[in-house]
Amino acid sequence: MNDADPSPLREQINSLPREIPPARDLWPEIAARLGKAERPDPRALRRENAPKSARSTFRRFRLPLAIAAAVTLAATLHWLRPDQAASWAVDALAGTPRVGRSGIAGTARLGIGEWLETDGSSRAKVEIGAIGEVRIEPNSRLRLINASADNHRLELARGTMSALIWAPPRLFFVETPSATAVDLGCAYTLTVDDQGAGLLEVTAGYVALEHGGRESIIPAGLRCRTRSGAGPGTPFAAKAAPEFRQALDRFDAGDPTALAAVTAAAGESDAITLWHLLARVPATARGAVFDRLASFRPAPNGVTREGIVAGDDTMRLRWAGELGLFAYRLKTRK
Amino acid sequence: MIAALAPETSALTRHVLATDEESDLIRRAQARDQQAFARLYRSHVGRIHALCRRMAGDVAHAEELTQTVFVTLWEKLSHFRGESAFSTWLHRLAVNTVLMDFRTTRRREARIFGTADPAALETPPPAASPGARLDLEQAIAVLPPQARAVFVLHDVEGYTHEEIAGLLELQTGTTKAQLHRARQLLQEALR
Repeated sequence: MNDADPSPLREQINSLPREIPPARDLWPEIAARLGKAERPDPRALRRENAPKSARSTFRRFRLPLAIAAAVTLAATLHWLRPDQAASWAVDALAGTPRVGRSGIAGTARLGIGEWLETDGSSRAKVEIGAIGEVRIEPNSRLRLINASADNHRLELARGTMSALIWAPPRLFFVETPSATAVDLGCAYTLTVDDQGAGLLEVTAGYVALEHGGRESIIPAGLRCRTRSGAGPGTPFAAKAAPEFRQALDRFDAGDPTALAAVTAAAGESDAITLWHLLARVPATARGAVFDRLASFRPAPNGVTREGIVAGDDTMRLRWAGELGLFAYRLKTRK
Repeated sequence: MIAALAPETSALTRHVLATDEESDLIRRAQARDQQAFARLYRSHVGRIHALCRRMAGDVAHAEELTQTVFVTLWEKLSHFRGESAFSTWLHRLAVNTVLMDFRTTRRREARIFGTADPAALETPPPAASPGARLDLEQAIAVLPPQARAVFVLHDVEGYTHEEIAGLLELQTGTTKAQLHRARQLLQEALR
């Protein structure tokens, strides 16, 4: 705004409310117009106009349809019910994995509190109740913590597991020494080393990593490291440039001077990393991160540099939506 | 071992889940569930009405436009694929709906009054009473329609001149002139 000294005007514009509710409820009139906008269902019309024989054909399928509905209902109830057995099925995929002290050759059950271990030549598969499955790679150690309907929880002490979950979000958790992985509807691989540090790679959907007040959201195509005592690091694209990753590692390890190298090496595919950094850098550094992110993905309407620098979380979250961080479930659950 | 999630860590996840809930509402509304659509309406009507109120300049017209936006949304919701945030998509739909209404009105008036110059059809802003101090919302409401539309889209909603020119079917030189005019009128009104 350069025309006619508009600065005071700009201040007033910035203070305009984003929302102005109508003085009266408009919904009843809209609902009435929706009714008029609706077209009659052509299938219903065809059914109404169909000859008697067609209608009797429809009637013939009533019983199978009812049975199908009953089976669907039973399956849903089965899925939602508490796991009475409080144990999950384990299949040996290779070698002889162990549940507790017993080696398993075929199928076994993993009870609450029991450890599943694989050596250098064994692999296993665990059925996560009715919501998914986990594959355990060699040299891994895994424990079942909880098997209730709303809390499927494992502990991965060491090794590598791949999870494929088809349940609603926040039903499956994996605790590691350095963070908790919270399933938000996804497929991912999680590795924990002997020092308790971890690496998560998401291949579908997204996962939250949480620990001690620090949180990262990792969508498909990104990875995230976790460190004992420090929690989740900043997510980065699997295809991020090596110099960018190295600088980010230094920053996550506590070297604030690495931030300049991070922003300098960032490319367009690093937008989600930059977005996470907005909440992790001091206010004095947020402007530089904002500028770099905005150069790849312009801030949406209502998101300003001043607001982001001031730490406005609402603006930051709105920008996340524009980056597609929360659009995944809509696109894939259709 | 990791303790239960600390409450202060879950703001982002809560947002994810809220977005998830909206995604569910969208899917249900796409399947013609009017209750789900009503909830989407309640969530977004304030933002849409604010846009319509500022673009239209009068209350009754703004309410009518708001209704039209949501009826259009009902008809076009199946086109939403989640490539952008729903609020952004809806906002763009609202701008297009409002401008479509403006263009229709302008063409109708051009036919009736026989002029190709839209600015000639604009009602001059009513003079403020001496000593009366307008707030910005009131001052925007009394801007000439085209200057008001350019000002709201550019200075309030953050559109570029190129985007506005495309939306209003004008040259960018015209939108810049209208913006200059709008700002001058507002500054005079707010003095």
